[in-house]
Amino acid sequence: MKTLVKLSFLFTLMLSYTACNQSQEAEESTKCCDHGGKVIVHTENSPKAIGPYSQGNIANGFLFTSGQLPIHPKTGEIPKGIEAQTVQVLENLKAIVEEAGATLENVVKCTVYLEDIGDFSIMNGVYGSYFKQNYPARATVEASLAKGALVEIDAIVALP
Amino acid sequence: MTKKIVHTKKSPAAIGPYSQGNIAGGFLFTSGQLPINPENGNVPTSIEEQTKQVMDNLKAIVEEAGLTMENVVKCTVYIVDMNDFAIVNEIYATYFPENPPARATVEISALAKGALVEIDAIAAV
Repeated sequence: MKTLVKLSFLFTLMLSYTACNQSQEAEESTKCCDHGGKVIVHTENSPKAIGPYSQGNIANGFLFTSGQLPIHPKTGEIPKGIEAQTVQVLENLKAIVEEAGATLENVVKCTVYLEDIGDFSIMNGVYGSYFKQNYPARATVEASLAKGALVEIDAIVALP
Repeated sequence: MTKKIVHTKKSPAAIGPYSQGNIAGGFLFTSGQLPINPENGNVPTSIEEQTKQVMDNLKAIVEEAGLTMENVVKCTVYIVDMNDFAIVNEIYATYFPENPPARATVEISALAKGALVEIDAIAAV
């Protein structure tokens, strides 16, 4: 009988230890999300990543997007010409921004990568039709891009 | 989270649809600064003068936001020729004498206005 009591005492101890561990884990997971835990953004309206990256990450009220290439999310095709490519890049960026519950007005910083800096003014023309006022800060540079793209743009967004 | 646009005449006017800086969520995000003199629109020739002009333009935006260069937490430096790295560093360091920000430096193939250097920054408000 004494053995049975001892065993049941031990069993109770084990149960409470497990319960305690579980509650600690739950607490840590809440802590993680309250203190800078990141949320991954994914939408079918923007092309899938072509490497180990996410379309976007949300943390501390900001969305950080990946650099968007001019890939059509449904067909996988890249249009010809800087004008059509800039439109596709900004459509892809917009889809991610909207998936995160924001609009392009909430973008605070973009970096524009051009294969040819000579495309600066055409890119500006298209870019200006997506960002009409309260423009984000921006840096533009010439660089070699993946998939033979002529333009790539990434963004930092202050979520509303 | 709302954003506030930063504008100062002490830094060159934008040459496209962008602002000199945006403040949101406790951070200032500046545009990449080119070595354009805000008063006469000239771009100096040498990498020394260009870096100085870029840093002066950056400083003007940071100060317009009510901050100092000490508040900058991250810079990205774009240079057309990696051989200019040491000269850029030397001038850059005079603007960040202590507690320098985090930084990434890359060589890119060209910048707007034929510039040799462009620098953007994130500052903590």
